[in-house]
Amino acid sequence: MEVTQDLSFVHMIENASVLVQLVLGLLLLASLISWWYIFRKLFEIKLATRQTAAFEDAFWANSDLNRLYQDIAAAQDEAGSMERIFAAGFTEFIKLKKKHGMDNAAVMDGTRRAMRATYQREMDNLESHLSFLATVGSVSPYVGLFGTVWGIMNAFRGLANVGQATLAHVAPGIAEALVATAMGLFAAIPAVVAYNRYVHEVTRLSSRFESFMEEFSNVLQRQS
Amino acid sequence: MSTLVRSEPYKLPAGLLAVAVHAVFFGLLYFGFDWQTQPPQGMVVDLWDSLPTTKLTADKKTEAPRKVEPPKPVETPKVVEPPKPVEQPKPEIALPDKKKQPEKPKPVVKPEPKPVPKVDIQAQQQAAAEQAAEAAQAAARGRVLDEYVGRIRAKIRRNIVMPPDVADDALAIFNVTLLPDGSVLVAKLKKSSGNDAYDSAVERAILKSQPLPLPPDVTLFNRNFRNLELKFKPKE
Repeated sequence: MEVTQDLSFVHMIENASVLVQLVLGLLLLASLISWWYIFRKLFEIKLATRQTAAFEDAFWANSDLNRLYQDIAAAQDEAGSMERIFAAGFTEFIKLKKKHGMDNAAVMDGTRRAMRATYQREMDNLESHLSFLATVGSVSPYVGLFGTVWGIMNAFRGLANVGQATLAHVAPGIAEALVATAMGLFAAIPAVVAYNRYVHEVTRLSSRFESFMEEFSNVLQRQS
Repeated sequence: MSTLVRSEPYKLPAGLLAVAVHAVFFGLLYFGFDWQTQPPQGMVVDLWDSLPTTKLTADKKTEAPRKVEPPKPVETPKVVEPPKPVEQPKPEIALPDKKKQPEKPKPVVKPEPKPVPKVDIQAQQQAAAEQAAEAAQAAARGRVLDEYVGRIRAKIRRNIVMPPDVADDALAIFNVTLLPDGSVLVAKLKKSSGNDAYDSAVERAILKSQPLPLPPDVTLFNRNFRNLELKFKPKE
């Protein structure tokens, strides 16, 4: 029996069974992708929050909706979600206004529908990939656990052939197997934290959009 | 207005950051941990019934004087010298003249041993060093000897089935002839304790204790263990 067991990380992964290695690879991939999404979403939501705040300031600062619309149309690429909602509503309002014979309520209904549609699209965009984070967060511990259970099963099966069973026979196998659980948790914890945080921020943004839509409808109704 | 196709500017930096996070994590795992597990140093403990006794060994007796000898010539003159000048002036001041005269011859006699060690200091030091080295070796040998004699006695002592009515000072001396593997060739009673039951009990114990613990050093065995004199008292 070896006196010293090399329990280095690399050595453990090398010695693990193929299934455990597969599980580890899968989890590593999941972790990589989830971190990628975490950072993408972080930047996206930060930007959306910043743009929303900037637009709200601009919207309440000047009462000239036409000029605001012109500004947004000029710099479409830099437009945020709220700008797009505003632009969609304003365009629809102008179009409906130009059509004669429409009563006010119908104009407002159309405007609102247009804004609602854009709002849905924006929300969909903001919420995209969050479900992936949720999936990684909830599933990867189980995947890791599966790899661990499999590894421990192998470790104990190896024990069956040994006459004198000592802890030293199972310990390396169990340590290898536990790497899978560790990996699963490593993938899951940031994903869950990020998911909860992003869902919260997206909800806050959506409530801001909705209240803006209501307020903007009122402004338009006053003007019509 | 709101086209679905939108450029996502953060794909690449986010991807790089994700890779960086993993690199940091695995770097920490790889370098931050001491993955090598070192087994604790084994410790061997011998439990002894009794400590090796000094009186049994014949070598010890010869060693003891040897050890004491070398320091004597060096120490004695030095120790004796300093007090003399201190003692001498005192009587000169305090005591009458008559008492000085008998004292005077003493310092004349005493200085004589002084030059003797001074002349031979180097030779003596060398001799002393040699003697000390020899003594150290002998002491080491004696220690091993003591240790194993102690072990042998302890092992035999364990196996003695004490018969009733044995006097405490009953001393049985055995001459034991040993083989290199620790087995007893002959265990001959050299001096009876006066109690036959005790003598035979000790003899049985000696035979039962085979193989006796012996030092791994063959020369030591040949010198001291081939014929071993063992003394047994009921109480020690």
